Amino acid sequence: MNNPYESQSARISFISRQTDNIKLFRFELGKKIKYQPGQFVELSLPGFGEAPFAPCGDAKENYIELCVRNAGKLTAKLHEMKVGDKVGLRGPFGNGVWPLNKYDFKKQKNLFIAVGGLGFVPLRTLILGKDDLLGSGTKVQIFYGAKSPDDMLFRHEYDRWKKQNIQLELTVDKECVGWKGCTGLVTTLFDKHEVVQNSVAFICGPPVMYRPILEKLQKLGFADEDIYLSLERRMHCGIGVCQHCAVGPYYTCKDGPVFSWAQLKTIPEAI
Amino acid sequence: MTQGGLEKFVAYLRQNGWPIFGPVFSAEKTEEVSPFLAAHQPKSAHKDGQIYIKEIQKAEDLDLSGQLPFYSFKRFFVPEQECLFQYEKEKLDQPEKEQKAALLGMSILDLKAVNLYDQVFEKDPYYQLRRRNLLIIGYSLTPEIQGNLFEIEYEENILEHLPFDIFLVKTDKAFKVFTGSIKGQRVLEDFGYKDYQHIQYSGPVKEGKLEERMERLRDRLKNHPNPQIWEELGKICIECGKCTLACPTCFCFRIDDKPALKEGAGKRTREWDSCFYQEFSEVAGGHKFLKTTAARILFWYYHKFARIPDEFDFMGCVGCKRCAKVCPVGINIEEVLKKIENS
Ligand SMILES: Cc1cc2nc3c(=O)[nH]c(=O)nc-3n(C[C@H](O)[C@H](O)[C@H](O)COP(=O)(O)OP(=O)(O)OC[C@H]3O[C@@H](n4cnc5c(N)ncnc54)[C@H](O)[C@@H]3O)c2cc1C
Ligand code: SF4
Ligand code: SF4
Ligand code: FES
Repeated sequence: MNNPYESQSARISFISRQTDNIKLFRFELGKKIKYQPGQFVELSLPGFGEAPFAPCGDAKENYIELCVRNAGKLTAKLHEMKVGDKVGLRGPFGNGVWPLNKYDFKKQKNLFIAVGGLGFVPLRTLILGKDDLLGSGTKVQIFYGAKSPDDMLFRHEYDRWKKQNIQLELTVDKECVGWKGCTGLVTTLFDKHEVVQNSVAFICGPPVMYRPILEKLQKLGFADEDIYLSLERRMHCGIGVCQHCAVGPYYTCKDGPVFSWAQLKTIPEAI
Repeated sequence: MTQGGLEKFVAYLRQNGWPIFGPVFSAEKTEEVSPFLAAHQPKSAHKDGQIYIKEIQKAEDLDLSGQLPFYSFKRFFVPEQECLFQYEKEKLDQPEKEQKAALLGMSILDLKAVNLYDQVFEKDPYYQLRRRNLLIIGYSLTPEIQGNLFEIEYEENILEHLPFDIFLVKTDKAFKVFTGSIKGQRVLEDFGYKDYQHIQYSGPVKEGKLEERMERLRDRLKNHPNPQIWEELGKICIECGKCTLACPTCFCFRIDDKPALKEGAGKRTREWDSCFYQEFSEVAGGHKFLKTTAARILFWYYHKFARIPDEFDFMGCVGCKRCAKVCPVGINIEEVLKKIENS
């Protein structure tokens, strides 16, 4: 019988520092983990536990890339590790991948993305696979807020993305030396830039930013079914059994972590 | 089967490597087990003791009065703690093999809980291995089942919806014997007993219509939420988690790594958790998604009466009232369910 708690051994083959407490790790695997943007994997370090992370690399590649913030026991240990060290990975988990099949991106829908902090992570997979997943004609507009310019993830890749019909608008929480762009929360970007017409909205980031962004989107006339958000919850099993991640009738690990606002709006404390 | 026959059957099972566990009356005073229980619910069928599940040597040791054991049989199916694997540096090892055990005297309510475990842990290799090593011998008086919230009674056609290997029904002087699995048949035949009737298991739910009470409770929780119920309960519940320990259908778990003395060695364990504990919904950085006691107690009821019905078409409560018996502040599920239904 398959053991859902068994992970496969994965070797760190590349590490790049993104910010002072976030690193990107690349893992080589014996058996490819096929995933869709929005799904997640469980990373295991015996002695330090297990935790969920959303892959952020190119889904076509055989390796998996995770962008990990040093936040506690397991992540602190991972941050100490070096190229050649081994971890365990199991997955992918989650059903609620960004609903790419529901819309015909090739013909009409554009994509509006609002992300804050680490919420950018799973969307990178979407950007890297844009031509296959969405079609080269789709306009992608991203509003991204970070604490400071130094906290911006993937910043050396922005120039490349801009050439692919991707509009990237940035903001940082507070004014700081050397930053000439926008300051304030992600919502301030709504006052400065027009949101692309005829689009589906994806939101991912710290829970505090969800309500204000939802309000902006609703004012712009987005239907609840066309707004998608990724939920964060504590997880232990990843397969819809342990109950830690339950939200109303759903399991974030199994039915999510991406949900449409239409699914969540009647559930108290969903966001 | 006569009482004498049962005595011989018990001896036979023990000789064949089945340690037997069943309801046993114990003179340990209620105060010793639960001072709260003694204070809040002084009326108990056995004034000077309680029924516990213990290993028995003889059938005579069993208490077959039909009173539910204080704790359920949960830990035989979903143990307090189990090892998923052992680690030493990069080496991983599977845990030791499971022991055989026969559970004699499981009531209809406790068997309903097994229906739930069987569904929840259908794809779980640890559960499946343990389950294969259990011999389930159900038992009922006719027709009454004591202390039961949903007025369930013994009737013969209930048996096809219960998971058991062997089932004993108390008649005047003897036991009527049923089997519910090939394993049960084999054990009886090997013992030399043939006077049984086989019942083909047809799933946990009666074909055709869903239970009305379940539908009503789910509808109320999902479509007509009444926050007042939870706010009131939130004011009295002290989040001790005793109800989750006592409840046969509470199976939430956490997964942790437990270090051993040897450098780099230890085991990954799965153990009971409780949605009443503060850490249950806490993520790195300290944010909790279940912020208040009211939110936690709603979570508990919502799981049993909305999420489980959604997943499996039956309720996540077997009506045994054990939760009410252990609650130090006297929260009584029977009253809470009435409040939900009237909201
Ligand atoms: C679907 C999903 C995708 C995620 N993707 C990323 C990502 O790409 N990059 C990233 O840096 N972080 C991500 N996180 C958050 C990440 O899982 C936590 O930062 C991590 O669990 C912290 O573990 P720790 O042992 O270092 O922290 P500790 O505080 O020591 O946590 C102990 C244990 O609690 C649980 N836990 C704690 N925080 C969380 C949490 N936020 N979510 C789930 N379980 C938690 C885990 O079981 C963890 O092992 C994601 C979370 C979810 C739910
Ligand atoms: S009555 Fe209480 S203890 Fe018994 S199954 Fe229902 S919730 Fe659990
Ligand atoms: S036993 Fe009673 S007080 Fe304790 S957690 Fe359960 S409901 Fe709350
Ligand atoms: S993580 Fe266990 S149910 Fe979702």
